[in-house]
Amino acid sequence: MLQCLYYSKQFREAVISYPRKSLQPGSPNGAINANSRISRISTEPAAQNGRAKAGVGAGVTAGTGNQGPLARRGSTPASAAVSPNPQKPEDKDSPEAKKKAALAAGPMLNVELGNSKNYGMEESLFTAMKDLFESIVSSESRTGVVSPLRFVEVLKMKNELFRSQMHQDAHEFFNYCLNEVIENVEDHAKVTNQSSSSSSSSSSSSNGSKDGSSSQLVPGEAASATDSTAAVSTSVSTQSESTMTLSNTGWVHDLFEGALTSETKCLTCENVSRRDEPFLDLSIDLEKHSSVTSCLRNFSASEMLCERNKFHCDVCGGLQEAEKRMKIKRLPKVLALHLKRFKYMEELGRHQKLFHRVVYPYHLRLFNTTDDAEDPDRLYELYGVIIHIGGGPYHGHYVAIIKSEEHGWLLYDDEIVEPVDKSFVRNFFGDKPGLACAYVLFYQETTLEAVERENQMEEERAAAKKAKLNKTDAKADVKKKPSKEKVNGHANGHAIPVPLEDVPDVAGAEGPKTPTLGPQVKTPTGPPPVPAIPPTYLIPKSPVPEATSPVSPVVKSKKEREREHREEKAREKEREKQAKKEEKEREKEAKHKNREEKENGSSSHGLSRFRPPSISKKPFGFSKTQEREREREPVPPLPVPLPTGSPNPGDTSSSAAATPTPSTTSLLQSQSPLTASTAVPHEPAPRETFSERYVNGSAAGGHGHKEEKKHKEKEEKHHRASKMLRKKLSILG
Amino acid sequence: MAMFVLPPPPRYPPTGFSLASPYAMGGAPMPPMETSNTIAHPTGPEHAFHTGEGQYTLREEIHLATPPPHPSETPITSPNPLAIQPAPPSAGTRISTIIIKTVPGTNRTSQIYRNTVLAQNGEAEAEHASEPRTSESTEEDSTDGGSKSGTDTAGASTVATSTTHLMNDKFGGENAVLTHAPTKDNKKRKPKNNIQKSNSSFVSRVIMHEALTKKLQESGASEDLFVFANINRAYHWLNLSAKQNKQESLSKVLFTKSHPICHDVNQLTKSATHIDIIMGFSTGDIVWYEPMSSKYSRLNKNGAINNSAVLDIRWIPGSDNLFLAAHGDGSLVVYDKEKEDAPFVPEEFAEEGETDRKPASGFFAAKSVNSKIQKFNPVAYWNVAKQAINAFAFSPDHKHLAVVSEDGRLCIINILKEQLLDVFNSYYGGLLCVCWSPDGRYILTGGQDDLISIWSFVDRRIVARCSGHHSWVADLAFDPWSCDARTYRFGSVGEDGRLLLWDFSVGMLSRPKAVAAKQPRGSVSSGTANGTSRTRPDGQPAGRLRSESVATKVDDDGVVYHPVEPRARTSNLLAIMSKVVDVDPLCQLEFRDDCIITTCREGHIKTWDRPKSTTLSVVPEANSAQ
Repeated sequence: MLQCLYYSKQFREAVISYPRKSLQPGSPNGAINANSRISRISTEPAAQNGRAKAGVGAGVTAGTGNQGPLARRGSTPASAAVSPNPQKPEDKDSPEAKKKAALAAGPMLNVELGNSKNYGMEESLFTAMKDLFESIVSSESRTGVVSPLRFVEVLKMKNELFRSQMHQDAHEFFNYCLNEVIENVEDHAKVTNQSSSSSSSSSSSSNGSKDGSSSQLVPGEAASATDSTAAVSTSVSTQSESTMTLSNTGWVHDLFEGALTSETKCLTCENVSRRDEPFLDLSIDLEKHSSVTSCLRNFSASEMLCERNKFHCDVCGGLQEAEKRMKIKRLPKVLALHLKRFKYMEELGRHQKLFHRVVYPYHLRLFNTTDDAEDPDRLYELYGVIIHIGGGPYHGHYVAIIKSEEHGWLLYDDEIVEPVDKSFVRNFFGDKPGLACAYVLFYQETTLEAVERENQMEEERAAAKKAKLNKTDAKADVKKKPSKEKVNGHANGHAIPVPLEDVPDVAGAEGPKTPTLGPQVKTPTGPPPVPAIPPTYLIPKSPVPEATSPVSPVVKSKKEREREHREEKAREKEREKQAKKEEKEREKEAKHKNREEKENGSSSHGLSRFRPPSISKKPFGFSKTQEREREREPVPPLPVPLPTGSPNPGDTSSSAAATPTPSTTSLLQSQSPLTASTAVPHEPAPRETFSERYVNGSAAGGHGHKEEKKHKEKEEKHHRASKMLRKKLSILG
Repeated sequence: MAMFVLPPPPRYPPTGFSLASPYAMGGAPMPPMETSNTIAHPTGPEHAFHTGEGQYTLREEIHLATPPPHPSETPITSPNPLAIQPAPPSAGTRISTIIIKTVPGTNRTSQIYRNTVLAQNGEAEAEHASEPRTSESTEEDSTDGGSKSGTDTAGASTVATSTTHLMNDKFGGENAVLTHAPTKDNKKRKPKNNIQKSNSSFVSRVIMHEALTKKLQESGASEDLFVFANINRAYHWLNLSAKQNKQESLSKVLFTKSHPICHDVNQLTKSATHIDIIMGFSTGDIVWYEPMSSKYSRLNKNGAINNSAVLDIRWIPGSDNLFLAAHGDGSLVVYDKEKEDAPFVPEEFAEEGETDRKPASGFFAAKSVNSKIQKFNPVAYWNVAKQAINAFAFSPDHKHLAVVSEDGRLCIINILKEQLLDVFNSYYGGLLCVCWSPDGRYILTGGQDDLISIWSFVDRRIVARCSGHHSWVADLAFDPWSCDARTYRFGSVGEDGRLLLWDFSVGMLSRPKAVAAKQPRGSVSSGTANGTSRTRPDGQPAGRLRSESVATKVDDDGVVYHPVEPRARTSNLLAIMSKVVDVDPLCQLEFRDDCIITTCREGHIKTWDRPKSTTLSVVPEANSAQ
């Protein structure tokens, strides 16, 4: 146990990330394919057992083949249902929790084996991995740690390489896992290539790596494999895979395997010989300030075989100089790119980590395909990055960033899982301080449409988030509002036109209504309804600070408050807008009645939309200009003289008071506890606009252009006034 | 020359990163780590590159000193690579250049040449090129012509991109509200606040060159090439025409937390005493800065209108006051430098009765430039992309806008009608830079696919992809001095530190077969031909709505979505020259009549002399001496 805990983080990391990683290809595929291949997926669980167990795999395409883990997970929840309970340790690094989880994983295994008798498999890396996946999937709790204890044990059992306490290479591990899984499945399928595993380990360096340029590393690797320091390892995988793929097309292959063609052109006889090699991942050499694209190009750049590396040409017979280049013939569904960050420095006699800046885009296509490749323009999207943190190749820490379907990008750091911003993915090009660089990149196939859909979803999700946020704000505001309105309406004692009575109602109506909108907007599943307000307008963007700001009791700096003030205003408007939208829906007829006005030429009809039916019947004479100004140019009603420029606070209040806004109260409130002040002072301005519309509309009815001029003046005055108000508020604050 | 007086001992030693004088102009103590700009003149084969026309050599290399972090920022002792707070966007050094004539009336030949080039290539062909498009636009907006000429005259005389013939359909021209009353005495308005005396916490410090006024008066040259450059949180003003100590900043503004990301100089309003600069910041703030009087004013304060970073900013061609800013949330916002902010709420969604319908394209004008409410900023507000807009460029005829964004889209927008016309997609990954050919026929984009894509504006299709960069393409520019009617020369710089030069010829690129087959005459959507004098009813190739690809989609709004052309069907262009010119990722590329300027992320500004005798027979400059 101790040993397990003590065991390199790398392992934990790898196991934590790899399962997810290999889950991911499954889930997105599932999601994407779901649209096109629903039938197959639905039949999957049934077919699945037979297929995976019998190793038939024939008619199953990679997409579904990949479902291996996924579908199986789906098919066995009943059996796994036993397990979830013990698996809910909190997200902490406490040994107890881990132990618990580990124990939970143990029984799982038994359940698994017991359940799928057909498996009849010996305990293997595959079953262990499967158990892990299943326990994760079947676990009901969203949080929790799954300790891969059993997995690690199995791993150690199976491969002496991992028995030491040395830190392991993630890429190597990845390869090993994949191959092991393939092997397990195949073994189990009783396909008659049992010897492949032994041959793969023995024939280590004979086959050479698929990557021509890395060939010089292979001997070193084979040697270092025993002391498990091999940092750049491609050999294990390639061998086993190349020997195996001939006879088997399992789902791992379907998913990860592509094919390379090495074209060798003899420079003597010009004869081109081609040889196909399968690959599970590509190890690419890096150069300074480059991109993954460019590294892939280099990977396929032609290379001269000369001097000691001469090529044996069958046509001319004998060693000849030749030109060799590797191209991708078959594109894998999941493209694993291993960035060779650990380079053997001959002058140093050891491996060294390269901190080259290598940029990787969110999407990728492969340039280095053969002419006859199928779908050479296949689009890939980045969904996983394994990051190595550390200064050297012999130790360090791995973390993984994975793009999940539901939660966006997640950072997996041992037991800790954190959601991260999409831009976070770009922090590991290699040039940032902190020694963290991307080491293995996982791209999965996608389509432009899927990408666009996803963008849409992202937007909507963000919108939902914001809407939710605004809703809470709105709620808070609404609480105060109706009462205030009343105060305001009566306290000021202006001759408020009758329609104004509706105003509080409208505002009040928002209260109960907005929440109803909430759940809709919030629902993360399904295509979220397009929120009332396109999110882009929301002035506040980062959710966290805002959410807290209105309640924050901390004394705010002038600037902060100023900003808050503005944010608050914006939000307020937002809410109005939302309310407006609802209002509009309810009062379609009202809108129709307003048609005549709209025919003025303005396409803006927010006002009429907003207007309760009773108002809408009123003869509105003012033009679209005014109508448009509704949003931000609150103008006091005509009858009230506007003192402008006077520096005393009464000025602001009077200008505000001119509108049916209780500026006095709001000012008072702003003086009262600061907690309230952040939210309250913002009331006046939007309120003004709000009711003003009506005042305006009714008072200014039928004045036309003259009105416009006045309007402008006032708008200016008002602006000054509101500035004053703001200033004052900050002073008060 | 003779009257050149040695400047007082420089504030900063001209070389080395040694400690600067411990006092600043404003009396504020300077942190001891203050470093100064340096200049170097490395020579040798590694500092030169060859093309068909000769050898370009490095004239000089100015290294802008990265300012130390603001004291309020806690120094990062051990950076946590996994810190998940999204870092504010920062940008490498970008420059805005401007030529100020101190002695009036000495028009340089090159200037004339440039004008003629533009006149031939740019204007004539631009009209050809964009005619099909413009004919689609109904031009009811032709009334406002002379209203702005009053303010225009002073600055416009020297500007190559004179806009006199475009007055009629200027951006926002039909909106009378936007018309500015001519100022008294044709005097240009300055921003409100003095940047040196400002107590705003936005500006940290300002360091003026001691002999700024003197320097400005005595530069000796008939014209000064001023370069404005950002690095980190600092903003430098350099005079590259100075005889000595070019690397010394005439002024240097240090901001507190916001980093200037992009900036632009208004070529129209410049004069010997006035330069309008607009800067966009990582925090979304925008600063209008007039360096001569060191006045500034701040817009979109704390993101009042849009709180995402400003990733690109440009003056709207032909406008004294209006500029366009691209925000990190995918909006394009038009501001007026002289207007106050007001919280922005979208005015209208769509046409009447369809208020809920958001255009499928994602583009819509949340506030139109024709809105009558123009008391405050923003003047206009367009939602263009769902992700950050990385760059945009105005077409030479100022009617169209090419916008590239992080989601890999190139959007062509008719800015007069505020209409999205075309949507193209990158091969993969985001697009980072965009520019128009001088004649307006072609658009170049560069992006995260390491490619430069050439798009034909007229034919509405991709023309070629250019591979050669080893990393993302950071900036692109045409070299109008090396373009002629048949061959275009353009350059690109990338994050690989490389400068690549490209030639492409129309003949090579045209695909007569495909083009000839699809040439519907006349306009497609709205048949109203414009009645202006620029109309050419003769059969110019009209924009095709259907490319040869079946997947081209046209949505209800008339937006044309172009599919990604497979690699096999797109011609590939190779560079004529590729050279690693910097150890750091490059940021910007600018062609000038006598040189090429490149900048990099770490503050290097390199000036590359053009070959001594070019085929273009540009008269050697009097003051291009080192």
